[in-house]
Amino acid sequence: MPVAGSSKVQILHMYKEFIRNSNKIQNYNFREYFLRRARESFRANKNVKSPEKISELISEAEKDLGVLKRQSVISNMYTFDKLVVEPLKKR
Amino acid sequence: MFRSVFRAAPALTRVSGMRSGFVKPTFSVASRFYASSTLSKDEITTRIADVIKSFDKTAAAASITGETQFSKDLGLDSLDTVELLVSIEEEFDIEFPDKVADELKSVGETVDYISNNPEAN
Amino acid sequence: MFKGLSFVSRRVPVLGSVGYARNGTTLANAAVQRRMYASAKVALAEDLTLETHTDNQTAAIEQANERGAMANPEVMDSGMQSLQHAYRESGDYGTRPIYLDMQATTPTDPRVLDTMLKFYTGLYGNPHSNTHSYGWETNKEIEKARNYVAQVIKADPKEIIFTSGATESNNMALKGVSRFYKKTRNHIITTRTEHKCVLEAARAMKNEGYEITFLNVDPQGLVNLQELEAAMRPETCLVSIMAVNNEIGVMQPLKEIGELCRKRKIFFHTDAAQAYGKIPIDVNEMKIDLLSISSHKIYGPKGIGAMYVRRKPRVRLDPLISGGGQERGLRSGTLAPPLVAGFGEAARLMMKEYGNDSAHIRRLSDKLMNGLLSIDHTILNGSADHRYPGCVNISFAYVEGESLLMALRDIALSSGSACTSASLEPSYVLHALGKDDALAHSSIRFGVGRFTTEEEIDYVIKAIRERVDFLRELSPLWEMVKEGIDLNSIEWSGH
Repeated sequence: MPVAGSSKVQILHMYKEFIRNSNKIQNYNFREYFLRRARESFRANKNVKSPEKISELISEAEKDLGVLKRQSVISNMYTFDKLVVEPLKKR
Repeated sequence: MFRSVFRAAPALTRVSGMRSGFVKPTFSVASRFYASSTLSKDEITTRIADVIKSFDKTAAAASITGETQFSKDLGLDSLDTVELLVSIEEEFDIEFPDKVADELKSVGETVDYISNNPEAN
Repeated sequence: MFKGLSFVSRRVPVLGSVGYARNGTTLANAAVQRRMYASAKVALAEDLTLETHTDNQTAAIEQANERGAMANPEVMDSGMQSLQHAYRESGDYGTRPIYLDMQATTPTDPRVLDTMLKFYTGLYGNPHSNTHSYGWETNKEIEKARNYVAQVIKADPKEIIFTSGATESNNMALKGVSRFYKKTRNHIITTRTEHKCVLEAARAMKNEGYEITFLNVDPQGLVNLQELEAAMRPETCLVSIMAVNNEIGVMQPLKEIGELCRKRKIFFHTDAAQAYGKIPIDVNEMKIDLLSISSHKIYGPKGIGAMYVRRKPRVRLDPLISGGGQERGLRSGTLAPPLVAGFGEAARLMMKEYGNDSAHIRRLSDKLMNGLLSIDHTILNGSADHRYPGCVNISFAYVEGESLLMALRDIALSSGSACTSASLEPSYVLHALGKDDALAHSSIRFGVGRFTTEEEIDYVIKAIRERVDFLRELSPLWEMVKEGIDLNSIEWSGH
């Protein structure tokens, strides 16, 4: 990753927050979607070099992360039965 | 039963201090009290190997030991490594502090951290 | 945000312990309970029931019993037998069906909900109040949403009229335009494969004395442009042709139709409920004069939609609803800011996610289509080239669609016939394509969307394959087909 040192760590920490919070979404389809989108968009922007573009992407991601955090809490407040493709136990 | 609950109490207060420990359903914590909080290194290694196998199918064949490096041996990039560590966190019901997670580069280092962490189960 | 939530958790232990004391549990237990609640910032009291159970097995049996009264008992029997067979034996998996009925409605995107919530917690001003900040702040959000809704189809925000949904928009277009021009023009052109609300609105106009031409479509589901041109008269005021069909996903040649209409100075209305945000639409390039939009087909809230009404050259229409003159006087009544803002966010996301959604939906629907068409005696309904990939309509010959749906209680689908529970009539859309009753009866529509996963598609292909085989084994017709008897050569004797 050509991103400068401190911002690379910052981005990785942000990615971790995206994955953790997406994992907490109760609804199967929404969980899988936000995991997929986090993976795709971080990877798609892997080679972005311009510092302006990077800081723009970071502030956009911060906004999205706020939405994700709120919505993952809400999804735990009103839950539904699991889907037929969802294992009931994790292990 | 009470003994195990009280033993788990420090773990619970710790979670509340974490940034994103806000949706831990409490009953799932309760169901894991059968396990001792001190796990053997072998057991930890086996469970991490299982996590890696379900995380990345290509690694299933490769034998995973303490020496296995995430990037060099498993071919994971920095984003993959972050994701793998989150899966390992979920497996052991702990959260690596950012500073620790940034330094974990191999299965062995991860095993060491978990085995020294009394909250892992 | 987190401060607010931890406030909730402080209250919860109290609730929890009260509940436990009432249940006669020991105090010590309550104390333990309190400690555990303290662990999570958001913990819900266990006596709060927020879990929503979906007992789909019971629902299936109830529905089967209801339908049993009118359907052929043999068909029902086979349906019920396969019903037993239709569930995963192990209890290791959930019970809620996979949702593949995206043409009926789509799940509300969590990001849309996030936008809407603040209108229920604080932003409650009437957007039409212009004397105070409560009105101004909501009005600002409405205009932001209007902007997003317009951008998707490259329109001017002033040309967007919010309505209650695509049904209202379609009614407004057909009734409003023709009533305005009734002195000089009394003819409307539409097609046989339109959505029910367009057909019904057209029929209502027939009762008001207008002449309606219902164009036929070819076996692919496409309108013939020569036929359209031939149907145009000097007194034609409106052509209404849908962009993407809701049953078969066929896309009409909007640009060509738009050009024909503009040349003859006839207004062109398109029902884009299934197309908006999903296929590229440019109202200027396609010369569209009126366009109906629905919010809940694009992962937005239900109960809201919009109508694009061109300003240059101006389209005039009589409003359906009179009142305070909101929405350029075309649709009076206070707007619902939560719905409008949610709709706007949904539209914004359709633009932002367009590339990703299109690629994802195309990939999954290709996989689904190839998987299902590899089963013997299956046919894709509608054009294979001019289609929106998220809608796949397939006929399974020698299987009765209703009994297949009955056997597929773990997948939420609709038969192409979009029939209400009261009628078992085959789809008028498939009829218009020239399909016979049997094939129309055996068709099923699959809707793939933003939130569909590959895992779900794999499950669906496997489940359909198994159950089509199962139902065919029960069918005497299938036995004859396997023996090589040409079914068309048989003379059926009536009873």
